[in-house]
Amino acid sequence: MSNKISAQYNLCIDTSAGTTVAVMQGGEVRSEINFDENMKHAERIGDAIAQAINSAGIKPSQITNVVVGRGPAPFTGLRIGIAAAVMFAEGVGAKLYGVTSLDAIAHAAFKNGADNSIPLLVTADARRSEVYWALYSGVTKSGAPIMIEGPSVAKPAALEELLADKKLQRTQIKVAAQDLGKVFEAQQNDGTASHDVTALYLREADAVVPKDLRDFGKKVSG
Amino acid sequence: MSYLIREALHTDLDQLMVLENSCFGSDAWDPDTMHSELVAKHTHYLVAFSTDESQRLLGYAGISKIPGNDQADIQTIAVSEQSRGKGIGKALMLKLLQQAREEQTEEMFLEVRADNSAAQKLYLDLGFEHIDTRKRYYQPDDVDAWVMRLQFANSVVGREPIVLGIETSCDETGVGIVRGNTLLANIISSSMDEHARFGGVVPEIAARAHLEALKPTLDQALAKAQISLKDIDAIAVTNGPGLGGALMVGIGAAKALSVATGKPLYAVNHLVGHVGVDILERGELKTPTVALLVSGGHTSLLLVRDLLNDVELLGETIDDAAGEAFDKVARILRLKYPGGPEIDKAAVGGNPKAIRFPRGLSLPKDMEKHRYDFSFSGLKTAVARWVEVAEAKNEKFSVADVAASFREAVADVLVTKAVNACLDHNVPRLLLGGGVVANARLREVAQERCDANGIELRIPALSLCTDNGAMIAALGSQLIMAGRAPSSLHFGSESTLPVTTVQSL
Repeated sequence: MSNKISAQYNLCIDTSAGTTVAVMQGGEVRSEINFDENMKHAERIGDAIAQAINSAGIKPSQITNVVVGRGPAPFTGLRIGIAAAVMFAEGVGAKLYGVTSLDAIAHAAFKNGADNSIPLLVTADARRSEVYWALYSGVTKSGAPIMIEGPSVAKPAALEELLADKKLQRTQIKVAAQDLGKVFEAQQNDGTASHDVTALYLREADAVVPKDLRDFGKKVSG
Repeated sequence: MSYLIREALHTDLDQLMVLENSCFGSDAWDPDTMHSELVAKHTHYLVAFSTDESQRLLGYAGISKIPGNDQADIQTIAVSEQSRGKGIGKALMLKLLQQAREEQTEEMFLEVRADNSAAQKLYLDLGFEHIDTRKRYYQPDDVDAWVMRLQFANSVVGREPIVLGIETSCDETGVGIVRGNTLLANIISSSMDEHARFGGVVPEIAARAHLEALKPTLDQALAKAQISLKDIDAIAVTNGPGLGGALMVGIGAAKALSVATGKPLYAVNHLVGHVGVDILERGELKTPTVALLVSGGHTSLLLVRDLLNDVELLGETIDDAAGEAFDKVARILRLKYPGGPEIDKAAVGGNPKAIRFPRGLSLPKDMEKHRYDFSFSGLKTAVARWVEVAEAKNEKFSVADVAASFREAVADVLVTKAVNACLDHNVPRLLLGGGVVANARLREVAQERCDANGIELRIPALSLCTDNGAMIAALGSQLIMAGRAPSSLHFGSESTLPVTTVQSL
């Protein structure tokens, strides 16, 4: 990693579960603010960003890169983090990057001793009795998780069935902004960092086209 | 309490001295000092008088600025005891600061008693900083003085602020930019086409579209206004009423932009924004005014005595919004979405009196309880039944007659209630807002009835009537020019935010 990159401050934001914001510099965590509750993202995002930057002892204008978790996640909260990341980057003229939130969890699991020879199943709550999931084979030399299946959304029973004959390990780790930042730095090293910040909803908007437009208003649960 | 502020005259001296003595007691200036302050070339004194019959002096304030000097001092400020807490002191200060700024003042100083926290708060809100303390300055009370300073370069007080407004309460992503009362940019990106195949606004689709549209809409607005984010003095954002998931996209964006740029953030009321937008066309909002706001999400009748301080909800729809009724009836008639323009087209040549559809909440018993409320659900059902019956009998009917008769019922009830509100409250003005204002028949009926009743009708340009960011920026600008403190970073979306909450803190 060049000195130039290691000196950069990265603001990392994820609202796929709770609200988690970190300032990272050269692999080091300068600050991290976590609100675990899976609600009130709109109320908290401003304070979380302001506090993370203050605690890191820097000014907003010193942020070089903004890294945001793209989910997958249920709709409303996820969007708030992405909207905030897009606007923060615009506001300070920083570069904007997207990372799959499940990658951050996989990264933390491997770092915390998950076996690099057994596929790792990462899941996250998708509400409506469903889970988001992805399967990882390990990490690159830089530490970027290697996704081999997913991300997808499934009923837990269907997921069990799908993966029944596979030997898997699992993790209970929750997404943290610092892990998002570490994945980004690894991807930057590997040359795979992505500017795509499109939300990974993995579900269609909650509406169906009525056969007869006179039936508007009837919804299906998805 | 209404009051007017004007330059002080030396003939005001006697009244000034009465107030001076009652406010400052043993610290009061003597009449000679006061007189020389009033007549000196290097001072500005303003007085506030009540506008009722008593025409009492409510307060006064003055500054001293030596020509050629880029510093100025607040000499004094006094507000009579029974008139405090009504914003008179702030209004006097704002005018003086504006004058000082216009005379190229760079720094403004004042002293305030260390034990006068109310005055200190006023000065802090206006952008003054506490820079020094003079020990035991006020005698014989033995009280310290705070020395406070305002640096005009670091503050917008006294000049027209450049405000960015973000609106995402329904299916329109709006970013507007204003300078004071002047419109600089108003860019709207609508997801309306994406909702068409569903026949109505789908909240999740609207929210997804906001996320995609925000940055391009902001970039376009900045380009149109020919400014960069650095030039912005403040950010305003709609935090309600509206669709929760949609509002939250704008709120998250606005908060991050505020933290990134260090610019203050104002969370403002969408409906009050619709009223305030008239300022961008006329340079002022004439009050009192009745406002009829009609869109796909709202049908509200407001009495606005003062945009920032006195907005009253007279009535609103108890079921569907008027715009929703247009969409639903359009579906019944197998017309496209959005229903308003389609029904307008279909109604051409139709007889508006062909079918007497019901006027919701207009019967005498309803008028007692719901004089200013609306209901369109029954009207929509009446149209559906009428069409069903005709179709069941295999009768050929004129879609133009049905469309025209339905549209007449909507326009009639909207305008009747709005004109009633004007007449009942003796208010000679009616302001229309919201997307349904595009409806040609509504505009005609409103004009006819307002003309007949001597009511001045205001219909802003359509791009300012539909949901837009310019109206949000304009309301933010009004709040700033009135010296209001910014919102915190903690506010959330308020789907049912009442019109009495102009700004959420």
